[in-house]
Amino acid sequence: MGKIVAIHSYKGGTGKTLLSINLAALYANRGKSVALLDLDFRAPSLQAIFKVHDSEYWLNDYLNGVCEIKKVLADLSQAHAKRGRLLVGLANPSTEAIREMTAKDRKWEMKALGRLLSLKTSLLNDAGLDYVIFDTSPGLQYSSINAIVSADVVLVVSGTDISDIKGTQRMIDELYELFEKKTGLIMNKVLTEVLSSKSERADLAHKLLNSYNLPMIEMIPCYCDILRAGNSTIFTSENPEHPFAKTLDRVATNIENL
Amino acid sequence: MSLPRKVDPISTTLLQKIKECLDSLNEKMEVMIEIQKHGQRVIQDGVPDVLDVMTLLSLPDHLRKTAVTLCKLDHATADEVAAQTKRARAVESSYLNQLVLMGYVKKERRGRKAYFYVEKEETQDGVKESWEK
Repeated sequence: MGKIVAIHSYKGGTGKTLLSINLAALYANRGKSVALLDLDFRAPSLQAIFKVHDSEYWLNDYLNGVCEIKKVLADLSQAHAKRGRLLVGLANPSTEAIREMTAKDRKWEMKALGRLLSLKTSLLNDAGLDYVIFDTSPGLQYSSINAIVSADVVLVVSGTDISDIKGTQRMIDELYELFEKKTGLIMNKVLTEVLSSKSERADLAHKLLNSYNLPMIEMIPCYCDILRAGNSTIFTSENPEHPFAKTLDRVATNIENL
Repeated sequence: MSLPRKVDPISTTLLQKIKECLDSLNEKMEVMIEIQKHGQRVIQDGVPDVLDVMTLLSLPDHLRKTAVTLCKLDHATADEVAAQTKRARAVESSYLNQLVLMGYVKKERRGRKAYFYVEKEETQDGVKESWEK
């Protein structure tokens, strides 16, 4: 049976979308069937990255109960998957849709949770997908907590900023643990100097292990090459030999084993 | 050697009835004990509350586990919830009934079995999605 992986963070700009897209493409290139869903309804971004300008149905429609999930998914395998399948579900980027999604009441959120939970049956059991990846909104808001509750594994992405580290720690203690989630941590955009010095790297790794006590922790340096590419391509597909692709390959394997 | 005693069919029915009554009484007592123990707010006016993620977060750990499992199963008996949580059926039955009293979960009887659910949702066109694999 496949897995639902939610990629989440306490603060914005940590690299969730970059990791979600590249992880989805990586699995698809391994021959897996993957669905990547943009659950960041406040700041949708996958439609710009995959250059999909219009869609008959959005994930907003699925959560509103207007359509089935398969009507939302666009098959981008030909363009972005060498061996497997890559399906993408987009969030509606129009201002009106964003405003509407931020004004939903608790009853709607409860139904949305039910619909996200039912993806396990529809996408993993019925459609036979190996992975469903949720790219979520940062912080503790309804859409992201709904995504976390519905996921089998949560990958939390943090920067090295102290407010981010403290917030992430609180989130792990007060949210992920309450829902008994398998969680992995990625420290992203770590200064290269820290990672190139063996003692500093070991020191940071030790500190992280002590603070978080999680089964999977990875540290990714801040790569100028990635910033330069600006999410205009799927970085790991274009640069499979880049150290970022190698690290993400390790993350993908770790998730498989979690 | 003694022969097995022939059981009177009326006694069997009666025993079955007594067992059902005792089970039902046991279930009610467990709910009362749980409510006393945790002092949870019980919806007295019958207006159901909403079991969204924020409510799930505010529930005590033991009830949250039951509620999340029921959300995942959609519609389930105490037996089915217990199979997922690896706790005893009687325990899950008590927690589910407590959630019913709190207004977060609904309960319906089908024959002898009691089914619990959060909120019924109509399926689109009443058909299951079909997929090309």
